[in-house]
Amino acid sequence: MELILYVIILAFLFETMDSSAGMGFGTGLTPLLFLCGYEPLQVVPILLMSEAITGITSGFFHHEFENVKFSIKRPVNRETKVMLMIAGFGCVAILISVFLAYFAIKFDKNVIKTYVAILILVMGFIGIIKLKQRSSNYKPKLLASLSVLAGFNKGIGAGGYGPVVMMGQIFSGIYEKTATAIVSLAEGIVCIVGVATFLLISNYGVTIDFVLFPSIFTGGFLAAIISPYMVRVLPNKIWRVVIPTYALCMGVLILIKLYIL
Amino acid sequence: MEIDNVSNISIDEIGSVARIIDTELTIFERMKIKKRSLKKVSGAIVFYLTTMILFSIYL
Repeated sequence: MELILYVIILAFLFETMDSSAGMGFGTGLTPLLFLCGYEPLQVVPILLMSEAITGITSGFFHHEFENVKFSIKRPVNRETKVMLMIAGFGCVAILISVFLAYFAIKFDKNVIKTYVAILILVMGFIGIIKLKQRSSNYKPKLLASLSVLAGFNKGIGAGGYGPVVMMGQIFSGIYEKTATAIVSLAEGIVCIVGVATFLLISNYGVTIDFVLFPSIFTGGFLAAIISPYMVRVLPNKIWRVVIPTYALCMGVLILIKLYIL
Repeated sequence: MEIDNVSNISIDEIGSVARIIDTELTIFERMKIKKRSLKKVSGAIVFYLTTMILFSIYL
């Protein structure tokens, strides 16, 4: 078993941002690992496996550090209902993407990824403009619509699920710290379905290379414990600025990946 | 609708616990970690070590 220092550092940095700003682990780390010369089958299933564990861990510690209160017993509280709704749309999206891949239905990757990059850029920009506004009331219909949109994007293979549901929650009036916690746990659940799908595919002759797992898991797991604590300690006004700014960066990163790299 | 007396925040609201903690506690108070949380962090470290040992056997 080999531990690769720069992969550990990259995984730590991107998972820190993912668990504290609700986005960026897949969108940010995947192109960087491709640039380092790793193949898709060495990166994608390993990121899903790692995010499944770190997402659940991060959600658990967000609950422990009281950024959110999830309820296991019935009646489930509103935070748990929102998390289950977001995770539900994500899981359906994964199944749709497998269905599309199975029937070899392909969309123009450049067009759909450009559309998602512009959507994230616009959402980040609106988030920055809205910084001075006081937090609004909870808008469940808007959140449901944006969760469907995020699921649809993921389903057609355009990605950007984290940024869209994260900004969607903020636009719907959910407190930033709690929105981060909800999206972390939801992404963990979605990635479990993703891992199950990959394991199913691996039964049909696709071999998964686990060489990156120990390094990505080490960096990601450490970040999944530290980030919820960081979210608790730092005041919410910092996260109100960091989250839309980071979303804007993610949109720019997708465009750079598409048109420059 | 229940309202927290100190922070005047509705307890039913999404994220009310985080809001109340932000309003009522200072950064230094928020930095304090409960003993119960430390035990859970220790549990997570044990989980990490177990996973790594299992992977070192598998790889």
